[in-house]
Amino acid sequence: MELLCCEVDPVRRAVPDANLLHDDRVLQNLLTIEERYLPQCSYFKCVQKDIQPYMRRMVATWMLEVCEEQKCEEEVFPLAINYLDRFLAGVPTPKTHLQLLGAVCMFLASKLKETIPLTAEKLCIYTDNSIKPQELLEWELVVLGKLKWNLAAVTPHDFIEHILRKLPQPNEKLSLIRKHAQTFIALCATDFKFAMYPPSMIATGSVGAAICGLQQDEDVSSLTGDALVDLLARITNTDVDCLKACQEQIEVVLLNSLQQYRQDQDGSKSEDELDQASTPTDVRDIDL
Amino acid sequence: MSESTRDAHQIPRSSKACRRLFGPVDSEQLRQDCDALMASCVQEARERWNFDFITETPLEGDFAWERVRGLGLPKIYLPTGPRGTWDDLGGGKRPSTSPALLQGTSQEDHVDLLLSCTLVPHSPERPEGSPGGPASQGRKRRQTSMTDFYHSKRRLIFSKRKP
Repeated sequence: MELLCCEVDPVRRAVPDANLLHDDRVLQNLLTIEERYLPQCSYFKCVQKDIQPYMRRMVATWMLEVCEEQKCEEEVFPLAINYLDRFLAGVPTPKTHLQLLGAVCMFLASKLKETIPLTAEKLCIYTDNSIKPQELLEWELVVLGKLKWNLAAVTPHDFIEHILRKLPQPNEKLSLIRKHAQTFIALCATDFKFAMYPPSMIATGSVGAAICGLQQDEDVSSLTGDALVDLLARITNTDVDCLKACQEQIEVVLLNSLQQYRQDQDGSKSEDELDQASTPTDVRDIDL
Repeated sequence: MSESTRDAHQIPRSSKACRRLFGPVDSEQLRQDCDALMASCVQEARERWNFDFITETPLEGDFAWERVRGLGLPKIYLPTGPRGTWDDLGGGKRPSTSPALLQGTSQEDHVDLLLSCTLVPHSPERPEGSPGGPASQGRKRRQTSMTDFYHSKRRLIFSKRKP
């Protein structure tokens, strides 16, 4: 009889590849191709008739909750949102299909990024069984067709290590900066404002916001203010003013999100489902 | 590694994430929209490749289609399941054309196309398409439909067989 010890983390991950992360050509190539994966238009104006911006926020918030509860890899959620936006930019969709679409996008993103992907059955349970696994599989083909099978989209996460590597931060601070930046990236994905921004700008703004936020409590960076923004902007060839604006927007979204969370905490549980838990859990760890 | 590992992340009984967001879902409507969207995917592919993927007939257009014989495909590309298996693919045998092809699964679709024909563009083309950008005349260079993937696979296999 064979005995199996399952105490180690069952998820296999590749070790960071220095050949990829320490080669500037990789960063340059990412910067070159990232725009190809942006949604083709701001679809609330030109494509969608039934779907409103607040509905995208609802479905995005739900997707984030599912990804967090299932402990998906960090990239899964932003990638799924990228699929959702690209699909909605091309296909007019009734709001009753939106949750199914969100589930399909998580299904695909999880399969692309994870060693043990989410199952169709599990995702259907998360829709309170309002859809069937068979429907999910059929719509998977529809979404694949409409996305032209281009699933390996560039996300802000692809830039994080490239940016962090070029900052003069002490190594022991990097993991905290990385964690906060990842939370900001997830936050940006829930907000349509950021849907048309290049992923490199969101990544750069998130790292900037993470350092600025942490700086208030402890000394995480030898660079501050304009010097930091200048350096960040140079790393990803982002315009300095755009970057500043992006970083400010991220901070606003964070503030709103925190306020929302406090309201939810204040016992207003009777609020309708629309506003339920619109705060990514990790944000609760952040002190401003 | 099996499913059971992920099931370590069972859905908590009282998970707030289990909820329906926009009221009841009309299954019939889903079905109709799914069919319509799949049909439009097929139509896009038809226009892109001047090939009717349902009847498997070449149409007039930029690409010249020709039948491939004797591919000697590796086993992994052989179809399995209800459509049967062909153990000899070297003799130019191919299954009879199936009008019902697209009602089957995409996997069958894939395999059958791969066996039936190869694509010869009139002008030289990069084997690997780049991901889709905005629509433009550069249509030869981008993957404009899911069938582009069949295309590159076909080319890959085909060129390998050439001396």
